[in-house]
Amino acid sequence: MALLQPTYEANEHLLREMIAVGEDIIDSKDLDLIRENANLNGESFSGKMSKLGSEYAKWYAKHFIMPKSVVRAIEDNYVYVHDLDQYAIGTTNCIFIPFDKLLGGGFNTGNGSVRPPNSIMTAMALVAIIFQSQQNAQYGGVSASKIDHDLAPYVAKSFSKYFRKGLAYFEEEDGVQPEDIRMSNFELQLRYPKSYRYALKETEIETLQGAESLIHNLNTMSSRAGGQIPFTSINYGTCTSPEGQMVIDALLTTTMQGLGSGETPIFPIQIFKCKQGVNQSPKDPNYALFLKAAECSAKRLYPNFANLDAPLNLQYYNPSDPDSEFATMGCRTRVLSDRFGRNKLSGKGNLSFNTLNLVKLGIEYGTALGKRKKADEQGFYHALDHYLDIALDGLLHRFDIQRRQKAKASDFMMREGVWEGGEQLAPDEPVGDLLKHGSLSLGFIGVAECMKALYGRHHGEDEQVYGKALQLISYMRAYCDRKSDELDLNITLFATPAEGLSGKFTKRDRQYYGSLPGITDREYYTNSFHIPVYYEIQAARKIELEARFHDLCNAGAISYIELNGNARSNPAAFLSIVQYALSQQVSYFSINHPIDRCSACGYEGIIGSICPSCGSHEEDVHIRRLRRVTGYLTGDFQTRFNSAKQAEVRDRVKHTP
Amino acid sequence: MNLCGYYPESINEGEGLRASIFISGCRHRCKGCFSPATWNFNYGEPFTLQRQNEIISEIAGNPLLSGISLLGGDPFFSAAEVGSFLDRLYEQAGEVNTWIYTGYTYEELTADPLAAEYALLRRCHVLVDGRFEETLRDTSLRYCGSSNQRLIDIPASLASGQVVLWQPAITF
Repeated sequence: MALLQPTYEANEHLLREMIAVGEDIIDSKDLDLIRENANLNGESFSGKMSKLGSEYAKWYAKHFIMPKSVVRAIEDNYVYVHDLDQYAIGTTNCIFIPFDKLLGGGFNTGNGSVRPPNSIMTAMALVAIIFQSQQNAQYGGVSASKIDHDLAPYVAKSFSKYFRKGLAYFEEEDGVQPEDIRMSNFELQLRYPKSYRYALKETEIETLQGAESLIHNLNTMSSRAGGQIPFTSINYGTCTSPEGQMVIDALLTTTMQGLGSGETPIFPIQIFKCKQGVNQSPKDPNYALFLKAAECSAKRLYPNFANLDAPLNLQYYNPSDPDSEFATMGCRTRVLSDRFGRNKLSGKGNLSFNTLNLVKLGIEYGTALGKRKKADEQGFYHALDHYLDIALDGLLHRFDIQRRQKAKASDFMMREGVWEGGEQLAPDEPVGDLLKHGSLSLGFIGVAECMKALYGRHHGEDEQVYGKALQLISYMRAYCDRKSDELDLNITLFATPAEGLSGKFTKRDRQYYGSLPGITDREYYTNSFHIPVYYEIQAARKIELEARFHDLCNAGAISYIELNGNARSNPAAFLSIVQYALSQQVSYFSINHPIDRCSACGYEGIIGSICPSCGSHEEDVHIRRLRRVTGYLTGDFQTRFNSAKQAEVRDRVKHTP
Repeated sequence: MNLCGYYPESINEGEGLRASIFISGCRHRCKGCFSPATWNFNYGEPFTLQRQNEIISEIAGNPLLSGISLLGGDPFFSAAEVGSFLDRLYEQAGEVNTWIYTGYTYEELTADPLAAEYALLRRCHVLVDGRFEETLRDTSLRYCGSSNQRLIDIPASLASGQVVLWQPAITF
């Protein structure tokens, strides 16, 4: 450690390290460093600028801030601290924004105040501004847990405005009371047919335009450093008022239409909240919207599907409070439960998370190295406890830094009460106890490779090994629950969305242990508890196997099925897979399928080397190949993904050839 | 009878998720055929009873399937054998929704009610009929290759004595 050995040699070493970091970034030498995050264009000027700051911040945190045990665990490749560049300054991760509150009361971005909107068009424009303002106060995702409920009042305002206009135009004026002007008022429709029809049509058009502007805004504003677009997510699907239904319908329609030249929007990630009795069977009020969501997902890769009926989520469901409905941060983060009683979403989020390299522990205590015939389970769990403690220490140490930050450091978030209660703090007051409603999460990667290293088979291959995998994750969850009680904090278990991480652990483990078949011989480790992407397995089986892990991962998890073939042309298949996953209690689900786009003619679908529509060859014309990584989409996986994730995409086995 | 391809789950050969079974052998020899190698009756692996049983149990054990699709080659050139495979399948898995692809037309297949081809047709639910016509090739068509080919609702057609086109259960 630098501080402990302030010798000339140590200082020289530090200096050389720092210089190398700068050179790598400025000359774009290390592509994986540059492409660590697919949303950031690390080869651009602003990208390099932000990388310089970020790499220095990591270096500084490691050498001068973090507990030595944690640094050691990172260096030994057992633990990964996500968003390490934000550690020293105490930034928090992600949040669900209370849009109802911000829109309803107006807000201040720091440069000027904004009145509550009076129409759906303005409300949707303000949603983009709120997302942008909030994004700068945090490093992770920003999400709307119930955008349909949040925006419905502004559809009503637009309707009322148009209806009154209509009364004047069509001379239907007849002493109608303002409170009677509602879209759902059947009598209004009978007594003022022209005004009603006019108002409905205009409101529909305005809502659609508003949705279009929202989605365009969220794909074009590069508010994050490095030309990054804010990591936005919107959840919807359960609002059954005609106004809410109009919002959902408009969002889906405009997403299907695509951006300016019809291309698939990358942001916001959209999540359709599935709930029996609301949108799951033909007699449910929002069933048609669920079908439309499936259609949209078959065309555009999302919405993804959140399962409000999974036991983990159902326990908090309160039909009269849409904020108690499970929603996610897009990547998979789940922050629904709170030991201090705020069992709802808006106004809080995840604070930070650390991920354990299960594979390395598996290699050391398993049979993979040929040192023993039978896995040393006792040794494994002993070491697991050790590193769980260290990873947790890292979270707690960081939490202490986060708590000490002044409210003005996350200005918009606290002043406007985006984080609930922040509005009561003076700018110089530390955020302190307010943050305790957020979650501190321990994550994991590579259950599959860990099992392979311990027992020679992964959990998709062998019933007994599957039991062992389940036991391992249950054990980690029990650890989190125990520590939550001991420390009186929300400590949760996360099926880590590993993007930058997916190849990092692997690369170093391979350097150390060599290429072990099925363990370190690929460029990446399998995400969380997933059945390996390269393993041939039926879709239903994959869903059944992964489903049981969802209930254990209270900080969030996702399951995917890969489809080959044009999902757009087979709605029945798409629907049956989604509904099967929901029936198996998968908490958060999505279907991956290839969307290629020919830049010559704009054809979207599956494109091999030759475009089926215009005959252009991929060597002459750029074919944009859209794929999903850790929950989000990126423009083109071949130019934006890091090498580990590119390898993973190439290996993905389609569950339907 | 030989098997020249098997996808346990596919979304490309019929509505829903289907097990697609490709039977070797075809004498239509359509110009522009996507797999002329499968014209040969000896292509692929023998579709032995054991292999049939394996596939049947996979189908029976997969809760996500909407049914199966029989393709080739052209399964109608092995009508009797394919018919007995279906009998075994239905016996063990219940009646499974079956799509069948052929270069013959519906009219040709229904010409002789005593023929093995007719018996096979009767066991299936949707017929994708007609030769592949290269000049009518259209990549935007669902579940077939050229615009002369029809998706026919077999039970409704047999009952009414005229061709009734199949309608999708869910459309987007």
